Amino acid sequence: MSTWSFYIATLVVYFGVDLLSGWSLNLQYGYAGVINFAYVIFQAVGAYVAATVTLGPSGGSTTFQQYIFGANLPFPVPLLLAAVAGAALSAVVGLFSLRRIRRDYQAAILLIVSLIAIQVASSDVALFNGSNGVTGVPRPLFSAFGLSIGSWEWVYAAWVLVICGGVYALVQWLGSSSWGRALRAMRDQEDAAAAIGFNITALRLQVFIIGGAIAGLSGGLLVEYIGAWSPGAWGYAETFVIFTAIFVGGVGNNRGVVIGVLLVPIIFLEIPRFLPQIGYPGLIFSLQWIAIGFMWMLCLLLRPRGILPERRPIARRGLALTAASARDEK
Amino acid sequence: MTHQGTRDFALEQSAAPKGEATGDDHAVALSARDLVVRYGGVAAVSGVSLDLRAGEVVGLIGPNGAGKSSALGALGGQIKITSGAITMGGRSIERLVPHKRARLGLVRTFQSTSEFEGMTVFENLVTAGQGAEGAALMHVLFQRKVNRESEVRAIERAWSILDRFEMAETANAYGRELSGGQRRLVEIMRCLMRDPKVLLLDEPMVGVAPRLVAKLVNDLKTVRDDGIALLIVEHALEVVSELCDRVVVMAQGEVICSGTYADAVANKEVRDAYLG
Repeated sequence: MSTWSFYIATLVVYFGVDLLSGWSLNLQYGYAGVINFAYVIFQAVGAYVAATVTLGPSGGSTTFQQYIFGANLPFPVPLLLAAVAGAALSAVVGLFSLRRIRRDYQAAILLIVSLIAIQVASSDVALFNGSNGVTGVPRPLFSAFGLSIGSWEWVYAAWVLVICGGVYALVQWLGSSSWGRALRAMRDQEDAAAAIGFNITALRLQVFIIGGAIAGLSGGLLVEYIGAWSPGAWGYAETFVIFTAIFVGGVGNNRGVVIGVLLVPIIFLEIPRFLPQIGYPGLIFSLQWIAIGFMWMLCLLLRPRGILPERRPIARRGLALTAASARDEK
Repeated sequence: MTHQGTRDFALEQSAAPKGEATGDDHAVALSARDLVVRYGGVAAVSGVSLDLRAGEVVGLIGPNGAGKSSALGALGGQIKITSGAITMGGRSIERLVPHKRARLGLVRTFQSTSEFEGMTVFENLVTAGQGAEGAALMHVLFQRKVNRESEVRAIERAWSILDRFEMAETANAYGRELSGGQRRLVEIMRCLMRDPKVLLLDEPMVGVAPRLVAKLVNDLKTVRDDGIALLIVEHALEVVSELCDRVVVMAQGEVICSGTYADAVANKEVRDAYLG
């Protein structure tokens, strides 16, 4: 029973973390058209920062690992710093990758940045302990409330869902605001949006930084639950899983993202755990990634707007646009 | 006639259109002098000069490859000029990026329809109406009252413009659900939401059903009557003759004639290069 409890609580935490990733990437891609193939590095930096500012100074009680930013900050400061780290890295990467060049070039640059980042983190041991990563991250509030390990897992899962509620409200509000409409205008016709006065580079950078902050927060939440973080946890392919979830659920629809995240990274990636082993060990895992790619392509071919497409706001005289009722597109 | 000669002729004509007195700078909404646009070693635009006055429609015509769209892009800021000067209300704007020119009142449409296709017609208009100021993230986050007021103003204006162009029934349609002519109108209405001083239109009649062309021409006349200066690149000569107060004819990157449509038709060089 406790094994199942742990498993379900862990799935809830993963679901929440993937939801944050989905909403963040949906804000960037679904609303603004920014193809952020480096998404996972912003989640990773949040995880590293949250871990190291919780672990204490490097060389203290954890002499077997080296890292920067070592501190022993109380909950929830590490999560806030994780969000700040995600935003700061996004600002740096965005400044050189989001200039007025074609979107496919931007996507290529960001993918390359992702590959470089993982090589740097793996090779530079002084940064975040190299390929071994950081481990032994204390569970927040575990001792303060005297919780049992089983209770703590569910308390933490509930905490993650509370954060999800707040982030959902934020992305919904921003997405339906005048700023969100400017993002969608930029997504649909960049030159036309500039020709009526929108600063495209500034809009891109803003959405990139906000998305990066949410990504960093999601990384912080994850590392405080699993207690460890290494380059093996954030390969560039992780970004593609979230993209697939968005395409399946509905590009530009945050509720669609919930369905996509439930279907792709949770149900689809968990099913193989319950399948008997076929072929050599690891075959099913490899097939999963191939299946993810096919899922993405099939979705683009058969239902390019996903299960729940972007909603159409209905304008009526005398009503504010954001207050108007909305219906799903047929 | 040499190319230099034609350039001088164009400048002279454009400085005093329709017999107006020279030096009437207040009426000049947009002025370009000796514009040059080069792509590598190829000069797409060579020394083009023109003036646009408030409440005037100027047609920019010529054969394919004449440099008309490049000239329009140079004026709008989408294409970087090699040399030359562009002024708006006496202010030099040739170094400004497109969104800064738009904020000064210089807006444009594109050869391919460029409505925001994932947004409804109404959203297209409100987005333009609120503009960069109304959509500023800082306003959305920290000045919600200001943001809400700008949205209310944009909504009122959007309904007003939709009514004026008899498009209110399409308010909740996506661009992809509209006809070619309606999509052109959406672009024009979206530009008008910005209260422009100068409107650049790149082939506005492309894709418009013949029965809607007359309506679009009449709509553009009402835009002109609002005191907006219009520069139109157009191949449909019947539209040019009906709509434009003046025409500027380009060939091989240069202005070969500037004057009324009748002047252009009577010009041998224009007939040889364009009208055949």
